[in-house]
Amino acid sequence: MTLTLSGLAKARGEFALGPLDLSIADEVFCVLGPSGSGKSTLLSLLAGISEPDDGTVAVDGRSMNGRPPEERRVGLVFQDGALFPHLTARENVEYAAEDPEYVGELTEILSIDDVLDRRPASLSGGERQRVALARTLASEPDVLLLDEPLSSLDEPISRRLRGDLDRLFDTLAVPVIYVTHDQRTATALADRIAILNDGRIEQVDAPTTVLERPASRFVAEFTGNENVFEVRFDDRNGRGPRIGGTLLRGPNDRSEPAAGLEATPGVSAVTVCVHPSRIRFPADSDFEDAAYRVPVTIERWLHENDSYRVFARVNESLDLTATMSRIAFDRLDPARGDETVVAIPTDSIHVLEQSDSR
Amino acid sequence: MFPTKSRADAVVDRVDWLTVTLLLGGVLLCYYLVPLASLLLSQPPGVVLRRLGEPDVVAAASTSLATATASVVVASVFGLPLAYWLAAAEGRAETLVTAVVVLPLVLPPIVSGMVLLTLVGPGTLVGEAAAANGVPLTRSLIGVVLAQTFVASPFVVVTAKAAFEGVDRNLEYASRTLGKNRLTTLRRVTLPLAWPGILAGITLAFARSIGEFGATIMLAYYPRTMPVQIWVSFTTLGLEQAFPIAVILVGVAIAALVLLTTLGRNPLAR
Repeated sequence: MTLTLSGLAKARGEFALGPLDLSIADEVFCVLGPSGSGKSTLLSLLAGISEPDDGTVAVDGRSMNGRPPEERRVGLVFQDGALFPHLTARENVEYAAEDPEYVGELTEILSIDDVLDRRPASLSGGERQRVALARTLASEPDVLLLDEPLSSLDEPISRRLRGDLDRLFDTLAVPVIYVTHDQRTATALADRIAILNDGRIEQVDAPTTVLERPASRFVAEFTGNENVFEVRFDDRNGRGPRIGGTLLRGPNDRSEPAAGLEATPGVSAVTVCVHPSRIRFPADSDFEDAAYRVPVTIERWLHENDSYRVFARVNESLDLTATMSRIAFDRLDPARGDETVVAIPTDSIHVLEQSDSR
Repeated sequence: MFPTKSRADAVVDRVDWLTVTLLLGGVLLCYYLVPLASLLLSQPPGVVLRRLGEPDVVAAASTSLATATASVVVASVFGLPLAYWLAAAEGRAETLVTAVVVLPLVLPPIVSGMVLLTLVGPGTLVGEAAAANGVPLTRSLIGVVLAQTFVASPFVVVTAKAAFEGVDRNLEYASRTLGKNRLTTLRRVTLPLAWPGILAGITLAFARSIGEFGATIMLAYYPRTMPVQIWVSFTTLGLEQAFPIAVILVGVAIAALVLLTTLGRNPLAR
């Protein structure tokens, strides 16, 4: 199955979605964006809950325009599950089931066999989402839409369900469109990620590309990349790019400009980003790689789940963020105020935009 | 010290105020209950019970029960679809139509009776045509039903509308994305979930029909319903002669109240 969006557009008061052009094959396609970016509007257009102002939605070339939801075979898992409260979990799953054998498989994969005789009110949040997922899949849709199904769940439950979703998606041969504002969920599940901002798509790429080669400042910042800064070219104080007034130096003080950082006539500065996971400290074994050296002062750090986020101050106006594993953190063994040097591998520098000199 | 004291003051304030509200409200409560009790106790129960079997009482009770049931059926057949439509409608149309539906609730019943007489009364086009075909629209059971339906059906529409609106729209969308059309969705999701509210509306309409007097007396003095019979007994024989039917009506009212409370959906108690 292939889901095709052509010039799809919908205005709602001040807000306008699209026009969107996308082709989604049998893959997990995550639409990642902040609230109010148009994610829910997009889903309601695909499901047939609302009609576009312009453009078409097609499944395998068949236009869905003007067709009511019940004729589209587009399944939608709602944010809160939207389980029928007067029916048991089993009756919910069997509500539109086509094949009893498949229902059995689904309830087993989703580990809900034990709760099938209960009403939704007595199910936990995670169980509710599992039942909702089973109900939608049991109707054997041609396209599967999911609206932030993990967003209301506690972290451990969310993480477990995320794992099960990943396994489940592997067994499906339909386009899966998964809408979320959580970058980690998108990265974990997606084959491709589309970044939606204010009704427009800023980038469509594989997760690692979106993270390390964001198409815009918005994408970089929304995906948790805090290292967005300006590199200035200033001939008066010696050649070479500078960040926050510090000349970027390579190993042995050789300034080997990274791709995009070659001094270009007419360009006074470029905005770049560096993924926090690519920043290296002297204690790291790969510190000697081709990289710029920047003197920093360790400011503070956060312990997040299974990793550390270290903030290193370059100067008053610029902090670099580095993420690292617990092992790397122990090796670094930092103290507040430590002065050290970080390495920014030249191939990790991604240019977002150029500023021309006046 | 100071903050603790002021908080204690606040509590005292609140308790005092609550007591005052209860005292004031209590007066009203007594005003409701004392006359009711005095009605029930003013005559020995044995006397009232014996009179319950008298022919005019039995006739009035059967007329009322039959017509109120018919009125509620008519109100539901036409009112529930209207309520469903209103629940889905938005904007000006919804406001306007709702206002029209509420009109019979705010119109004095006797005026409703007049309004109906100008449409179906003797000498009107509709009234004459129906009577010529053997269906008298006044001074008949049908006349009673017409009066009761006019006055009581808004309860079905307004209450059922609220009940339909109380059903999460996403549940209906969920059903439809699962391949079920509007009608199936209505039958399997919306109606079962809205049912307690709909039943509350039907109960209210029934209670209102049973007690309908103003419009009924204009349209159909005969056959006598219970409220009309009370009026006739009261004016011709005195208050005491009207007691047995009044007791029945109080009984019906209490039964309706019990049902509404059981449903937990008394729209007037929200």
